[in-house]
Amino acid sequence: MKKDKSKRLSDWEKKFSKEVKIETSKEFFHETDEGININPLYTQEDLLDYTFNDIQTLPGEWPYTRGPKASMYTNRPWTIRQYAGFSTAEESNKFYRKNLEAGQMGLSVAFDLPTHRGYDSDDELVMGDVGKAGVAIDSVEDMKILFDGIPLDKMSVSMTMNGAVLPVLAAFIVAGEEQGLDRKVLSGTIQNDILKEFMVRNTYIYPPEPSMRLVADIIAYTAKEMPKFNSISISGYHMQEAGANNVQELAFTLADGMEYVRAALSKGLAVDDFAPRLSFFFAIGTDFFMEIAKLRAARTLWAKIMQDFGATNEKSLTLRTHCQTSGVSLTEKDPYNNIVRTSYEALSAVLGGTQSLHTNSFDEAIALPTEFSSRIARNTQLILQNETGVTNTVDPLAGSYFVEKLTEDICSAAWKIIEEVEELGGMTKAVAAGMPKLSIEESATKKQAKIDSGKQVVVGVNKFKNPKEPKIDVLVIDNEKVREDQITKISTLKKDRDDKILKGHLNKITEAAKDNTGNLLALSIEAMRARGTVGEVSKALEDAFGRHYATNVGVSGVYGKFFEKDEKFMDIQNKINIFEKEKGRRPRVLIVKMGQDGHDRGAKIVATSFADLGFDIDMGPLFQSPKDVAKDAIENDVHAIGVSTLAAGHKTLVPELMKSLNAIDKNNKIVVFVGGVIPEQDYQFLYDNNISAIFGPGTSILDSAEKVIELISKK
Amino acid sequence: MMKLRDRIIAGERAAIAKAITLVESSREEDIIQSHELISELIKSPGHAIRVGFSGPPGVGKSTFIESFGSYIVNKNFKLGVLAIDPSSNFTGGSILGDKTRMSEISKNENTFIRSTPSRGSLGGIAVGTREAAIILDAAGYDYIFIETVGVGQSEITAANLVDIFTLIVGPGSGDELQGIKKGITEYADIFIVNKNDGDLASQASKTASDYKSALSFYNKDSDALETQVVLVSSIENKGMDEVLDSYNKIVNVNKANNQFDKRRENQLAYWLEEEVRNKILLKLRSEKETSELLEREVRRIIVGETGFYAASKVIIDRFLSKK
Ligand code: B12
Ligand SMILES: Nc1nc2c(ncn2[C@@H]2O[C@H](COP(=O)(O)OP(=O)(O)OP(=O)(O)O)[C@@H](O)[C@H]2O)c(=O)[nH]1
Repeated sequence: MKKDKSKRLSDWEKKFSKEVKIETSKEFFHETDEGININPLYTQEDLLDYTFNDIQTLPGEWPYTRGPKASMYTNRPWTIRQYAGFSTAEESNKFYRKNLEAGQMGLSVAFDLPTHRGYDSDDELVMGDVGKAGVAIDSVEDMKILFDGIPLDKMSVSMTMNGAVLPVLAAFIVAGEEQGLDRKVLSGTIQNDILKEFMVRNTYIYPPEPSMRLVADIIAYTAKEMPKFNSISISGYHMQEAGANNVQELAFTLADGMEYVRAALSKGLAVDDFAPRLSFFFAIGTDFFMEIAKLRAARTLWAKIMQDFGATNEKSLTLRTHCQTSGVSLTEKDPYNNIVRTSYEALSAVLGGTQSLHTNSFDEAIALPTEFSSRIARNTQLILQNETGVTNTVDPLAGSYFVEKLTEDICSAAWKIIEEVEELGGMTKAVAAGMPKLSIEESATKKQAKIDSGKQVVVGVNKFKNPKEPKIDVLVIDNEKVREDQITKISTLKKDRDDKILKGHLNKITEAAKDNTGNLLALSIEAMRARGTVGEVSKALEDAFGRHYATNVGVSGVYGKFFEKDEKFMDIQNKINIFEKEKGRRPRVLIVKMGQDGHDRGAKIVATSFADLGFDIDMGPLFQSPKDVAKDAIENDVHAIGVSTLAAGHKTLVPELMKSLNAIDKNNKIVVFVGGVIPEQDYQFLYDNNISAIFGPGTSILDSAEKVIELISKK
Repeated sequence: MMKLRDRIIAGERAAIAKAITLVESSREEDIIQSHELISELIKSPGHAIRVGFSGPPGVGKSTFIESFGSYIVNKNFKLGVLAIDPSSNFTGGSILGDKTRMSEISKNENTFIRSTPSRGSLGGIAVGTREAAIILDAAGYDYIFIETVGVGQSEITAANLVDIFTLIVGPGSGDELQGIKKGITEYADIFIVNKNDGDLASQASKTASDYKSALSFYNKDSDALETQVVLVSSIENKGMDEVLDSYNKIVNVNKANNQFDKRRENQLAYWLEEEVRNKILLKLRSEKETSELLEREVRRIIVGETGFYAASKVIIDRFLSKK
């Protein structure tokens, strides 16, 4: 005989309580980083009449929770689109062509940091950064080499470019032209999402308001001229990588999207003229079901948002997205574990219904990937597509009590934040007020505290450590050589062009920027065609707009709170107090970012945590030169400098810093240490340059603090 | 010791920095050394004009100093900045982020920029700020900017450090206007209304005229200069000429009518009193008998065994009779 439903539930409840030895299962839930409570059991009772998620709907049907298309992967699997680029256009081109032959289906270009920030490779300011963290592109000539032998009418190309978006997109269009292609046939995506640069990615150039105009000009131009090109990729990915939880990532991304829609509308476009060409980009971290539910929630909310904007075209209502597995979930320690992590994340993205996917390489926390590590990363997707059967049915997790409920929970939590942002007057205003940045930094700091305190397990890092770390091969880039090559190319370019014609185009850009007239992309195309450089066009715009400098306000007290009464924490505090008594002041540490490296998550977390421990921390601005850092350090008479470096500039910038310090005061006793992404192969080089300690990815902040206080006490 | 003095006078960056550390230090030996050093340095004064900046959090003090500082440095003046950073944390550590808003002037060879955590000390002034200014003066800096923490009780102390006391305010908050009492105008030589740009511009100019009319009620004695009001935008670098003009005017007028030196003399008296008061209290607290008496008398007042003034008299008498 069948028991009735409520009886069965209460029976389960009794058994459960007995097994885990608590009063009721209600006490037993897991609270996620998002503040969502995950219950031990979900049943039919949880499938309520939700506000956002309508569980009756089908794929390809409003509000598209189950997928933008009816057929999804059953017809065509997601696009394997690996993000890559390094050193020169020639090298990257070779790499792309090899990958395409090996089964990759789309291209995704990673530019180096000077290009991102609108500097030419021959600029003194970017000496350490050329070709290091992506491919250096200075002109149309480089762009042509980059896509040599790759038919731009057949291959869709995604370009991660935001700051120097005008000259780079212009160079791409001209490179297409010179392949004999009308721009109408070019397909692909330009990231062009400037708001998240101010929040987390840090490759902005101009202040927020003029930057928003660039975005709008590009949307307006491509809507008319390039019907197959996605004019923007509204990105939450970088937010999660910077430490945002999933609800923050989703909410701020959709709120960004709303802001871009408004910017385009302000150019006089009708919503359905451009909205079909808006695309999205999310990160997929280790919280398996949360990530799946996030993608379902994203589609649900976006449909609602676009309907409110009056969109009627189905393409405007559906959210299409690229996803990338999380780099920050990958570890330097025991790196082969990363293959496993990435596989789970990839599965999550696919079950969530992504349109394209990048999977990270296992050497993510060490350097740019090698050919070997990239192959495994790509094959992770090929195996998923070809061997597991996940493509045979659409949205296979629909109807799961848990996933449906979680989808609704994320929708409503994200919606709350979106409403808050709207109350502040939309994302541009919220960003200017620093609201999203600060809440993401708080979340990042909590995450670090959870890991350092062991509340969150990271296999191989704070638990289950491998006593015998494997040695792995690392990609090395000869930055000197790349820089020389680029400089030669620039000087040839400049010799062969007509400077007067170019000057005319550049002046027009500056004027149009000042007067708020004309379309800046159209004008940039003229300038790039006349063989202007990325740096020159960026400068022409800068002359009108100025450069943006971010100010650093950080969180405080967030890290310390996790360690109340923690013995080690108190022990370090105690050491600091003794130091203060003996030396007459607190230990003072300058934490800096040098060159164009905009990875500031680590630096900021370390700064706030060290301050919680009792250090006096001087926080340098982004993009300092070694010379500026030295002056800053000497004037403030700091005991130590902590260099945070992740974009592979350390071998140029660190020796330069040591030289500058000695130039000001050859008797200085400043202890210099380095944190961030440093391949072990470079350790000795740094020690030889008088670096006292190196703290790589996964370092517990308490450990590093202890070491620092020990080192400076000795001096 | 003399060596440090010479190196400072020669303008050596590292020496200036070490000397400031010395005057900020809480270590006994350092304090003794710093007294010797300052006594030496006072003998070779420079010609620096010391300018103080005060204003509510977030009005743009650092941003203004970046903008006006660049302007000054471009005119080939040497600029020292002493930034008192408020951001102290519950455990006693702090994050000094002020310099992120002064990145342009930080780079310049002709500047010296030092931040100091306020540690919640009174007056928005850190221990050693007065001495640090003496060091920078001796080192040949033309201007010394002192950025203090917020406003409130701090005007008197901050104003007593400088030749020109600047109050920076934002556009259009009525609350700030109410803050213009007779007291403040006695300390502030100039009001700078910041953020005169974009959406805020019209409000900023309205605020400036409100200040002007409000200030006209509180004119100081007739031959003294009236309090200046200048509109600026620190992010658009607007109004910097006017600020420098006003500063020059303040210095010139004050020098002409002897106010300039007189003010410095009064400040000397103020700091001497401060020093004496602090040292006496320190002494009183460090001696077992009097410090115990202090504690005991407090308790006796609370339980009603004695009165406040009687207790104070008992303590002072005991302290003095011991000498
Ligand atoms: C998060 C991340 C991002 C975020 C950055 C967000 C932000 N605001 O910081 C986003 C998504 C925006 C991003 C973008 C890019 N990234 Co990235 N990114 C990472 C990633 C995945 C994690 C870094 C991180 O934040 N970790 C968490 C923090 C807490 O750890 P941490 O910084 O390492 O700090 C710890 C220790 O190192 C140490 N430490 C660090 N600093 C200091 C300082 C002191 C004083 C002390 C005591 C200790 C210390 O203690 C910390 C706590 O444990 C790394 C790979 C990896 N797993 O490390 C790639 C990585 C750094 N990125 C890389 C690249 C190439 C880029 C791009 C340039 C790509 C491109 N071409 O467009 C862009 C441009 C970014 C820019 N403006 O510079 C490369 C660099 C390659 C190299 N070194 O050779 C890496 C290594 C990935 C890879 N293998 O390709 N990235
Ligand atoms: N619109 C506008 N904003 C400004 C101007 N000056 C400063 N700001 C902004 O005001 C905010 C605060 O500026 P800060 O220079 O940090 O202000 P502060 O008075 O030093 O602040 P505390 O150090 O917190 O006391 C920043 O976001 C600046 O960008 C200005 O002239 N115009």
